[in-house]
Amino acid sequence: MKVKNRQTIILIFFLLSQIVLYSPLLSQERFRKTPPIPEPFPILQLPEIQHTSLYNGLSLWVIPQNDVPIISLKIIVLSGESSSPENLPGLATLTANSISQGVSDFSSSEIEEMVEFIGGNLSIEIHPDYSLFSFTFLEEYFDQALELVSRMLIQPTFIRREIDSMRTAVYYDLLEKSSDADFFAKRQLLQSLFDNHAYKKSTFNEDVLKNITQKDIASFFYNHYRPNNTLIVLTGNFNINTVFSEARRFFTRWQRREINHSTPPSPEPQENMKVCFIETPGAKDATIYLGNIVMPATDPDIFPLLVMNQVLGGTPNSRLFMNLRESKQYAYNASSEIEFYESCSVFSIHAKVRPEVVESSILEIFKDIELITNKKIPSFDIEQAKSYLIGNFPLQIETYNDLTSKVAEHKALNLEDEHWNKYYENIMLINSEKVFELAKNLPLMTPVIVVAGDGDIVLNQFGAFIKEVDIYNKKGIYLGTYKFD
Amino acid sequence: MNELFRYKTKLLILCLSLSLLGGRAHVDAQEKKDFPFPCTQYKFNNNGLHVILSEDHSLPLVSVVVAYRVGSINEEPGKTGLAYLMENMMFMGSENVNRMQHMSIINRGGGELNATMTEDKTIFFQRVPSNQLSRVLWLESDRMKSLQIDASNVEQAKQAILEEISLRKARDPYLQSSWRFDQLLYANFAFGHPAIGSEDDLKNLTVQDVRDFYERFYIPNNAVLSIVGNIDRKKTLEDIRKYFETIPEGEPIPPVPLPKSPEKKSIVESLQIPLAQSPGFHLGYRLSSPSSDDFYVLSIIEYILLRGKSSRLYKRLIKREKLVLQLNGGIEKRQDQARLKIFVVNNNQFMVQRCKKAIFSELHKLKTSFISEEELKKAKNMFLKDYISQYSTSLPKALFLAETFLSRNIILNPAEEIEKYMAITPKDIIGVTNRYFGIESVILDIKTE
Repeated sequence: MKVKNRQTIILIFFLLSQIVLYSPLLSQERFRKTPPIPEPFPILQLPEIQHTSLYNGLSLWVIPQNDVPIISLKIIVLSGESSSPENLPGLATLTANSISQGVSDFSSSEIEEMVEFIGGNLSIEIHPDYSLFSFTFLEEYFDQALELVSRMLIQPTFIRREIDSMRTAVYYDLLEKSSDADFFAKRQLLQSLFDNHAYKKSTFNEDVLKNITQKDIASFFYNHYRPNNTLIVLTGNFNINTVFSEARRFFTRWQRREINHSTPPSPEPQENMKVCFIETPGAKDATIYLGNIVMPATDPDIFPLLVMNQVLGGTPNSRLFMNLRESKQYAYNASSEIEFYESCSVFSIHAKVRPEVVESSILEIFKDIELITNKKIPSFDIEQAKSYLIGNFPLQIETYNDLTSKVAEHKALNLEDEHWNKYYENIMLINSEKVFELAKNLPLMTPVIVVAGDGDIVLNQFGAFIKEVDIYNKKGIYLGTYKFD
Repeated sequence: MNELFRYKTKLLILCLSLSLLGGRAHVDAQEKKDFPFPCTQYKFNNNGLHVILSEDHSLPLVSVVVAYRVGSINEEPGKTGLAYLMENMMFMGSENVNRMQHMSIINRGGGELNATMTEDKTIFFQRVPSNQLSRVLWLESDRMKSLQIDASNVEQAKQAILEEISLRKARDPYLQSSWRFDQLLYANFAFGHPAIGSEDDLKNLTVQDVRDFYERFYIPNNAVLSIVGNIDRKKTLEDIRKYFETIPEGEPIPPVPLPKSPEKKSIVESLQIPLAQSPGFHLGYRLSSPSSDDFYVLSIIEYILLRGKSSRLYKRLIKREKLVLQLNGGIEKRQDQARLKIFVVNNNQFMVQRCKKAIFSELHKLKTSFISEEELKKAKNMFLKDYISQYSTSLPKALFLAETFLSRNIILNPAEEIEKYMAITPKDIIGVTNRYFGIESVILDIKTE
């Protein structure tokens, strides 16, 4: 019994000693109450970009990296859909897709086999200002990849059968996209904003593809696919000298030609609010796009615009999302973005909302816009937006593909150091005053508004803020105007 | 009385051990220096948390992955949807973090976040500038330690998922057939029911169900924390210690009983889907465990048959014979189970039959004729690039480490693993194809009228 009592005393003693010992530790749990203060942003050492050109004008931008045995290659032909003739929208798209459909010695199937043999992946993207070819492959097949690419750029055969088959694939691809409200509503926004401008050609629908002949494609290729109209951006385990000698080996015979190409004039912003409606019977949600034309990315005001966009709708913690989704519970999502073109940018807001609250959602969007155009954004919000933009930049260049995409976009849009080496400094200089000076002069209150949704629920809601609505179908064809009394 | 004495003695020993350790949990460390990306694996002995750290200073970024070994296979009949509901709940606030605050903190620092749940795991991941690491650890530890589970946020999460199910059903008329096909192919409730859960079960889930599920599975000894990027390993380990060490260990989780060994019989069933515009079918084969040697060969067979536009089935069904409107397929892993699944949509019933014949004929060719060295090399190269891409940057690397650890409990050296894939011969392909692609297939025909 005595032994047991002694045990109890010792136990109590130890329990007390543990409380004393652990009390600082327990009190440290106070760290859970508030988030830790982050250290300053780490220094971003941007990768070096080396440049050289071949005598025929082909421009090469090389970013040496040696983390993984993969190469990312981007080819940018500086002619996009805006270079298609007025009567043949879609020609730049079909031409870009044609170059992998057969070269002098190989059919399209053989090219696919060759691409996949080198662990490769080839994708094509047509922008209004340029055509972008992305190619990633295993490093050990660098020679084979360059040889294949050079053949596609110099000797495509444009065989009718292959072109017809590719045209069908592009047609069905567009048709499939056209069933997505986000796709056709955004296309309608751009079509309305770029009315009477060369950029409108990039908003074509699948029906126009049948008008394009093999001869049209060959002619577009002959006039635009030239070394002096092309940039190559590469990242991988090599240096500029290796790339230069390999490029000389494969691209020297590519002949330059004078290109009849100029930057399109800047389109005028929409001066009066315009509403377009696209009927989607029975749709469970309504899609809203709202936007206008603003300055091109080369304008110094683009930096306050980036900060403003971030405050308004750049991420889910921005004002639009917090208001439309979290506070009002109208929307599944709500955001804003800036899309860059060579001669302008498009600032747009996108929201997916319940059909019965389309009007209320649009009114809330305008309230959020007024809050940044009528008064200064508090410094705290501006600093948080800058923090996102600075912190997020390295995330945009982490993969080889992301890195070459970013550099390719910079070069294609003629952006210089202001957007690369000096990006941090330019963002850091922005304050509430600069954003306010910019925002109050932007045409944000006279946008084009596109809504896709169930007409029975949505259409009558527009009467609260506009007298008439233009009705379009999913293909962008104008059907008529609906007037409110 | 003796009981009490024994209890006190045990407690005394425990207290003595704790005081000797000075209040710090012991951590086992295992360095992997010969990996293509060196990493170190740790285990916190006090609560069983596994940690994997890998330094990569190419950019000032860090990726943080917290993966829990829990998915729909851990759900019981009548309680389906809990795993997915839990994934949603993890963004709805914890003791010290408000709803939306997690997202807001990550976004304001310039970072990105997301989560994913499969049949056997639930993964939360963030990619942030490296100065934000301690904030991510603070957020992740808070929701591991003390998630906010109340009637209001459970109801909100349930409504969001019910809406998602209804949208998915409206957008994909074949969803119903893919759920039925899984039931046939896995022949076991845990492995075969839809990961998103059933609408009826979801509606009936209670707050207590959610709390029980959280307390049972969202515990350090059922998780792995993997961090890759611009980190100082020593400092990071200290931070992890600070935020995760005091989270108590949970009860050990018994493994989910595996389905009976693959049944050696074929199953053919048909399902009427009036909303589907075109007929089609699902075809499946039961494969060996992902940890078996045969699985290396099966992975390459997947590339030969289904990956890329020059794969055998793509070329034959889409390009050459134009038999299908849609072709999807690949190997699917659910814990220790693996299946090859092919889904096809055709223009009409005649095409369905022709398409099946064409697939069987391609499998027959693979069983009876040696694949050319060139075609095999092509499949291996495509596989190699995808495999390398898994550890090309911080987030894929962190995911790769966490997922490998969850599925095998160890991290295999990727360089050695690649060697095994590259050593596969045409003879191996014939052998394995014959072993797994016999007549014991599962077919679900989709009828439209």
